[in-house]
Formats: sequence, C-alpha cells, structure tokens
Amino acid sequence: MQRLGIDLGSSYTKGVLVDENNRMTAFHCVKSGYNFNNAAKKIISYFAENYEIEYPVYTCGYGREQIEAPFVANSELIALSKAVYEIYKRSCSIIDIGGQDTKFIQVNSLGQVEKFKMNRKCAAGTGSFLEEIAFRLDVTPEEFTEFAKDATQEVKINSFCTVFAISEIIGMIKNGASLPNIILGIYNSIILRSSELSLVEDYVVITGGLPSMHPTIVTLFKKKYPDSDSPERSQFLAAFGCVLLNRSGEKNKPQPINS
Amino acid sequence: MEELLKIMNEKITPEKSDLVKLRSVNDLRKTMDGYFARLKEAAETRNRKIAWCTSVGPAELLYSMGFEVYFPENHGAMLGAGKNADKYIPTAVAHGYSPDICSYLTSDIGAFLQNETPLQKSGFASVPKPDILVFNTNQCREVEDWFSFYGRHFNVPVVGIHTPLSISDLNQEIIKSVADQYHRLIPELEKVAGKKFDIDSFSERVGLSHDGCVLWKKVLQKAKHIPSPINFFDSAIHMGPIVVMRGTRDAVDYYKILLAELEERIDNKISAVPDERFRIYWEGMPLWYKLSNLAKLFAKLNTCIVASTYCNSWVFDDLDPQNPFESSALAYSKLFIVRSDSVKENVLEGLLHEFSIHGIIYHESKTCARNSNNRFGLQNRLFNQTGIPYLEINGDLSDPRCYSEEQSIIAIETFIDQLSGQLTNSRI
Repeated sequence: MQRLGIDLGSSYTKGVLVDENNRMTAFHCVKSGYNFNNAAKKIISYFAENYEIEYPVYTCGYGREQIEAPFVANSELIALSKAVYEIYKRSCSIIDIGGQDTKFIQVNSLGQVEKFKMNRKCAAGTGSFLEEIAFRLDVTPEEFTEFAKDATQEVKINSFCTVFAISEIIGMIKNGASLPNIILGIYNSIILRSSELSLVEDYVVITGGLPSMHPTIVTLFKKKYPDSDSPERSQFLAAFGCVLLNRSGEKNKPQPINS
Repeated sequence: MEELLKIMNEKITPEKSDLVKLRSVNDLRKTMDGYFARLKEAAETRNRKIAWCTSVGPAELLYSMGFEVYFPENHGAMLGAGKNADKYIPTAVAHGYSPDICSYLTSDIGAFLQNETPLQKSGFASVPKPDILVFNTNQCREVEDWFSFYGRHFNVPVVGIHTPLSISDLNQEIIKSVADQYHRLIPELEKVAGKKFDIDSFSERVGLSHDGCVLWKKVLQKAKHIPSPINFFDSAIHMGPIVVMRGTRDAVDYYKILLAELEERIDNKISAVPDERFRIYWEGMPLWYKLSNLAKLFAKLNTCIVASTYCNSWVFDDLDPQNPFESSALAYSKLFIVRSDSVKENVLEGLLHEFSIHGIIYHESKTCARNSNNRFGLQNRLFNQTGIPYLEINGDLSDPRCYSEEQSIIAIETFIDQLSGQLTNSRI
C-alpha cells in the first residue's frame, strides 16, 4: 500500500506516491484543465495500474477539495515546507514559482512556517507569465532554457504586466535585441519579482514547476543566492508534503483544513 | 443598509454556517429603518434640510442645527456589500475618475450617474438631494473631491475642515486650528439651515455622541473575553448607528441593547465563533463584497477576528459636552487614520495585548491608501516589536476586481495553519 499526495495546482496537477519509509516512489503530472476531479482521476488511474493506493489521498492546491475520492485537504505552503524540511533538515527560505503564484516561505529550525508571502494579484513573475511569453514568441520551454545559455548581455524587462511585457519584448526585437539576451532578461525579471517578496537571509531552496521546467533559471538563482539548492522534481514536493503532514504520530502536526 | 442586513441574515442562516445570530440585529434593523425613514421624508417633503457628511465629519454640529444627515460613505459600503460596485465604477472612470482612487467614491459617483441606488429598494427616488455638503479631511483628501462633484452638480455649498495629516504630537495648536474651523462652518450652516446656531443644542448632541461612542467602545471591548461574543463581521454591520447616528438618542439606545446581549452571551458562554481557537486582529478596510464568505471561512478555521482598526475608528470618547468645540477637535484629530505611523504602532501594540491576539491580517486595499497600513513597513516593525505573526492580503474595500479570492483563501488557511504550528498550547 502506498500513500498518494496530489497537488491540484492552477496549471498542473502533480501526484506522488510515498512508501512506508516516507520515500517518494513514483511521480505523475497532468494538466489541471477545467476539471480538477478529472485531473485527480487521471493521476489516481495512472498509479492504480501498478500500485495499491491507500485512501484517503492527501491533497493541496487550488483544487484540493474538488475531488470525488476520499481525501484530506492540506495547506499547500505548509505541505511544501514540510517536504523541504524533510529533505534538508534545516531552517531555510523557500522560493516557489508555480503557475499563478510565487511564494516565499521562511521555515524555522523546527521545520515550522515562520513567515510566508505570496505574489500580489498579478501573474508577472509566475509560470503563466513565462508560458504566455513563450507562446507569443513561439518557443518551447526546452528551447527557452537553452536559448538563455547563449546570452551575451542581459536586456532589462521593465513591465510589471504580462501583456505590456510582451509589447516591450516585441519592441526589443524590432530594435535588434537577440532572443537569447531577451530570454535572459525575462528570467532575470522573474528572479527580481520573487526577490521582492521578502528579504532572504539564509539558505534558499528553489522549488516549483517553473524551475523544474527551466533549469537555466535555477542556475541564475544560484548566482544570486550562492547558498541555495533546487531539489530534483521540486514541483512534486507539495504533494509529498501532504502525505508527510498526515503521517501518524507527527509532532506538532498542523490541523488539516477539513479534518 | 438593507444590503448590509441582507448579508447579515444570509451569514447567519444556520444551515450555511455555525455562526450564532445576534438577536439585536432586529433592533439594528428598526434603528436603521428609522434613520432612513427620516431621511426619506426630508428628501420628499423638503421639510428639513439635508446635509451630506463624511463618516468622521462633524455630524453632531449638523444634527444640532436640525439637518437630516446623509453619509455617502455608508452608501459606498452598501454598493460594495450589494456586490454592485464594479457595475458603477466604469461609469465614473469614463468621467475621468481614476480606478485607482477610492472605490467608495467611484462606485458612488458611477451609481449616481447611472441614476441607481440601493436606496430605491427602500422607496427613495434617488439619493437624497443635499442642501450642503460638509467634510473633514481627517480620513483622506478624496472626500473633498468626492463632495465637490456633488456640490457642482447640485450647485450647493461644499464646506469642510482640513485636518493636518500624519499627526504625531496632537498639540494645542492643531486642536485650536481644527476647533476654529468648526466655528467657521457655522455662518454657512446657519444660512442653509435658516436658523441660528445654538450652543446648548450642540453640547447636547456632543454629549449624546460621547455616550454612543462609549457604549460602542464597550461593545467592541466585550471581544476581549475569551471566547469572544462578537466578531469583526458582526461589528462591521452593527457599527451602522455609530456611523450615521452619532449625536442621536437612537444610537445610544441601540448600543445599550447590543451591549446587554453581549453581556448575556458571555454569561451564557455563547461565542461568536463556536470553538474559537485563534484570535485575529484585522487591520484595514473590510472587503464589503466578501463579508459573508470571509465570516464563514474564519468560522470554519475556528478563528475569530476579535478586533479591528476599522471598527475601533468610531470611538470618540474624548467628546465632552462641557467643551464641545475643542473636544470635537481633539476627538476627530485623535482618530487612528490621521496619526503618524509611530502613534499607530503604539495603538496597535496596545490592542494586540488587550485582545490577546495571535495574529494580524493586513488588508491592503488597492484604492484606499490611507486605510492600508502595511505600505510603509509598519507590519515589519510591529512584528519585530511583538513577535506576533502577520499576513498581508491584497484586495479592496468595494471593487471586487482587485481581489483574488482563491489565492487569499489559500493564504488565510495557511496563516491559520502557521499559527497552529507555532503557538504553544498555553497561548491558544
């Protein structure tokens, strides 16, 4: 029997199986689309082919209560912090860049959330921002991250608004700026946006769908924060944390939202 | 007000939430109905003059001179609570008012330009036509521009008091200046009212206002009790009389009823939020269009918002009938919103302690800079002084387009989880 954590995010739904030793054993990710229950069903069916799943499943994210299977909903940020602490066993600052949200979380030496902040009501600096720009430029995420490696000089993106950022980029292309330099500018604007959330004074862990799909941005983050890391498959960590939060005998376990 | 009461009734429907209904809401309705009936009669018969007044303006002076007093901010709150602000704001914007300025102002002017008002449901033909508009800039400068729109439209006088902003030292010079401005309003008010100013009548109104404010303060202070018999969402509705009937017997009578009910609740161990576990301070404006949703969300999280800057803002207990001008100047310049950040920090620190607060929520209201106190680092300084965790949410008092509900729910739930993880059993 394996426990299943599902993070039903605004763009993608991520599922992770966790064994009795609290190790992640299998991963699956689908687009959330317009029906979170369908997305969760796809995750459950995928795992059910090869594994026996224990119920309830443990959920977080925007669609955390939108599934028909028995579930226990959790706070995504608390879950993510739990998973990061499980891996690093130290106080740290988490910068998580997801589809619609950029989050800063300060985790103390006991693994508890000390402070957190989310982006304002604006998608600039999030995964959606990058997806929209990539779509307009007709560049895939893989190409996007490869292009940035060839940058020779950064160009600065000033616009806070995704739509105006695109107009700004079109202007840059018109003025002869190279695509690699522009992409480096876009990555750096995302890093700058995330650094507005809070002062970062300790070890930094970078997580979320965006760093997972754009490894170059992790390199740039590491340049800004030398004392940092980004674990593999970090977009699955919130789902992993949901399971960890609900393991029996958990000390100081926060109350699940709908328990 | 009907819109606000509708929300209150919706909120307290038992099958929708575990929140316990305050019985006094029926008396609140009667009190508010009486106020609007008087206003309607004056608007229809023109038997009494109508003054428009800002929410922390010189209401006592206006009532003392026989005016019926109408408060556009109350109307703004009704538009917000009725979830109609975004229907009207674009009209005001098209007339040159920025969507970034006060959404009470833009929704109110927009509704007026569209010839619509929730008061029509209570039989009003339109908002009551003013004979004079009277403001105090203690809360913000927008009120003067807001009233000036109507002054131009109706061709009636707009007079007011300009209070200094960001006051640290509330000294005699400031009090004298504001008191002098009160005096200077009188000739214009006499002209419009068609009657002479009477100091005894003013003193009486100041005395009634004082008594109403003291009772309102007692109501709010009942929330010091653990668990609290009243929460912010109740107070935001039950504050109606202290906003629009300050200086009347009706407000005094109503708060005696409410206070008695809260005392009874404490005796009978009835709390506003069943199983209250966390006590929160709300800094900033309410989100009028989400009062009901937020009340239910916090109740589900066993969390009671026990105190707020907003509801505390109508406690003018420095009013003194023996000294009506100076005490009015003192009371209305002592207001939280018109004070410097250092004064605000001290006030907040005191309230956090008095109300046994576990966490603070700052609502950064997109169109209300003066009522968003997390814009100049106060939240960090207060955290450093007190160690009490805080959460900032982005929204607006009336314009729902500025609020991301799902994101905010996640933030609020996470904050309560954070408190749950952080607080020791002895503090909860």
